[in-house]
Amino acid sequence: MRRTKQASPLITLSINGNDHMAVVKPFTTLLQVLRDQLGLTGAKCGCNQGVCGACTVLIDGKPARACLSLAANCTGRQIVTIEGVGSVAQPSRVQQAFIDAGAVQCGFCTPGMVLSSESLLAENPKPSVAEIRTALSGNLCRCTGYKRIIEAVRLASKAEAQP
Amino acid sequence: MEPSFHQPRTLDAALKLLASHEDARPLAGGATLVAMMNAGLAEPPVLVSLRHIKELKAVKALPDGGLRLGAMILHRELASEKRLKGGFAVLREAAGQVAVPPVRNMGTLGGATAFADPAADYPPALAALGARIEAASTKGRRSIAADEFFLDWYAQALEPGEMIAAITLPAWPKNAVGVYEKLAKVTGDLAIVSIALVLAQDKGVVTHLGVAVGGCGPKPVTAPEAARAMIGKPIDDAAIARLGQALAEAADPVDDVRASADYRRLVLPRMLAKAFVRASLPAKERR
Repeated sequence: MRRTKQASPLITLSINGNDHMAVVKPFTTLLQVLRDQLGLTGAKCGCNQGVCGACTVLIDGKPARACLSLAANCTGRQIVTIEGVGSVAQPSRVQQAFIDAGAVQCGFCTPGMVLSSESLLAENPKPSVAEIRTALSGNLCRCTGYKRIIEAVRLASKAEAQP
Repeated sequence: MEPSFHQPRTLDAALKLLASHEDARPLAGGATLVAMMNAGLAEPPVLVSLRHIKELKAVKALPDGGLRLGAMILHRELASEKRLKGGFAVLREAAGQVAVPPVRNMGTLGGATAFADPAADYPPALAALGARIEAASTKGRRSIAADEFFLDWYAQALEPGEMIAAITLPAWPKNAVGVYEKLAKVTGDLAIVSIALVLAQDKGVVTHLGVAVGGCGPKPVTAPEAARAMIGKPIDDAAIARLGQALAEAADPVDDVRASADYRRLVLPRMLAKAFVRASLPAKERR
């Protein structure tokens, strides 16, 4: 497919460990594919400018903006959305900590907050409050529930430390 | 015409594609170009992704002590690049303050430099270092000094069909220290005022100096004569104040949502003094 002069509009994306086909134009963003074609609506469209962080997904393990990622440019990369992190029946430790700490208000920022936190704790299992704040600095919460969100990440980091 | 998207494997192939249409655009990390596309401000008919071109990711130490940085190096990678030490540390510190972590995972040195936002972090750092921007096209390569590259608000010296292939930092003395001081409303925002300072001194006497200011006009602000006047002289409050005054006079700030022009002129010399203080600290206490 790569040998053709123009990328085919049909691409394969690896999302949450599974291959998904999507039909894309050059300007189609990963966020549009996730939400409109694959029904993965955990990533939200807030500003569509890369500022708010509501569309955060993990690309090759790192938090990134789905709204600033062209879908056609994401082939061959490992994408993880909030749907790949846990479920209502089986939440991840970070998700459980968000519930326990009361860190969810309207919920719009929560998927991005959780994914940024998952990535932080994978790299740094015992972050300081300053490190948590830096890691979450690209995720805005319009409810301004930052205090409990940071508390949730601390709670999850303690849970991670247990065997 | 339907827009087309390409992912060439070599720089030569990318340059041919960029030459195929006058509005063709290279796509680096997407942090600015895709944001503009989403806002309807850019609709490149030919989009050339650079992500598979290995040579654009390289960091190369040059025999003369300089450093050549590929255009596709991520902000995150630059922020932890160990070879950015001594005077080059100004660029490492600047990279660590570009936007927020998820954007630093996507955005690139070349992309942010080509965007030429004068309140962004690379333009003053590159100007202070005397960096050279290596532009490539099907016609060949040319090297442009940073102070001739940044021309105006979001405007630089690239011609149609040209892209940044690499940025070269010239050698600085081994004892040079680079610091980047940024004043912003919140972490990750653009600068109200930022100071990029590269300083080498011998027992309190300036031997080499590079300084540029961000956020205070259409391009990085410099004051070459005032900077030259400090060479060979002791660093003292009066000398720093004179340089601060010269930079504030050379600045052409605007009133915007972040701060007034008057405030920027007022705070600039104080930020400069802060940068000199930190650049003079022993390495362990600098951060």
